Amino acid sequence: MKRLKKHLSLALLFSLVSVAAAVRVAAADKDPQSVQVTIGTILVSNQSDEFDAKLKGMEKQLRVLKYRSYRLLKDESQNVPWRGNKSFEIPGGRSLTVAPQEFQNNRIALKVRLTERNKPLLDTTVTVPNKGNFLYLGGPPHEGGTLVLSISAAVQ
Amino acid sequence: MNECERIQESIGPWLDGELNSAECERVRTHVGSCPACLAAQQKIEKIDLALRSDLVAQAAKLEFAPFWRALERRISEPRPWYQEWRDRLVSAPRSAWAVPALIALLLAVWSFDSYFPGWRGGVAARSGFAAVDSIDAHGRSVALWRENETKTTVIWLYEEQEGEHETAEEAPKSGPAF
Repeated sequence: MKRLKKHLSLALLFSLVSVAAAVRVAAADKDPQSVQVTIGTILVSNQSDEFDAKLKGMEKQLRVLKYRSYRLLKDESQNVPWRGNKSFEIPGGRSLTVAPQEFQNNRIALKVRLTERNKPLLDTTVTVPNKGNFLYLGGPPHEGGTLVLSISAAVQ
Repeated sequence: MNECERIQESIGPWLDGELNSAECERVRTHVGSCPACLAAQQKIEKIDLALRSDLVAQAAKLEFAPFWRALERRISEPRPWYQEWRDRLVSAPRSAWAVPALIALLLAVWSFDSYFPGWRGGVAARSGFAAVDSIDAHGRSVALWRENETKTTVIWLYEEQEGEHETAEEAPKSGPAF
């Protein structure tokens, strides 16, 4: 009986430690307090061969769009509360509203709405790697070129 | 080795009471009839007596009480909990590890996602791509494009043209040459 008790206490100790470790790991992936969303507004065109030095970090990605000119018009970061939303002003009377939806496997699901003078242009749900690669949303015309929005997110 | 040499080797154990009765009798009989072995016996007894009296005299001067008190205190004082657990872990049989090992294995499988995020999340999740789950362009044409080399995901919204509401499958009217 004493031997059984000893074994049970040993098993219990390790079980508790294992559960505590697993819960800690699992908790790390659940509902962050907020998400830092960064939206870069880039004007692309074929009017010149300019490449903005501020875009150096994403040159390889932008070059796949096959434009000649790339200029960063605006770069804005906002802390978006979990389950809340924040709007980013985009040149040309447009607005991009971002709402974090889910955080799983170190990836953040975002609901994104692009509007132009309160008229919705695009509603999409995207999943971006936490602190990882950007998603590019392009197409709206602006000043003889086209706007490309880079979207990235990092949990806080 | 002759008989006397064998007997003289046995005299010490005989005097210490370490021999069985047959051997005792053999040594006693021989010593009683052999002057050389009797002399050897007497010599050993003399040394033994001298050592014993000297040790008894020395022992009388020693203080054993503090030693015993310290020993008893160490025996009776409670052991810290961590020493108890350490002893249990060290002395546990191998079979006792089976239960926690199984639990640890199950938890490791359960927690795999946390350590290797995206392992079952499809190509996009595994490769670090941004993924698009749904798009509604409100009647406009839209293209979704992925470039493997740079892990780039692009949503391209085409400008609305008067009277046209093409879907994404139809050819885009303007935009980059993907």
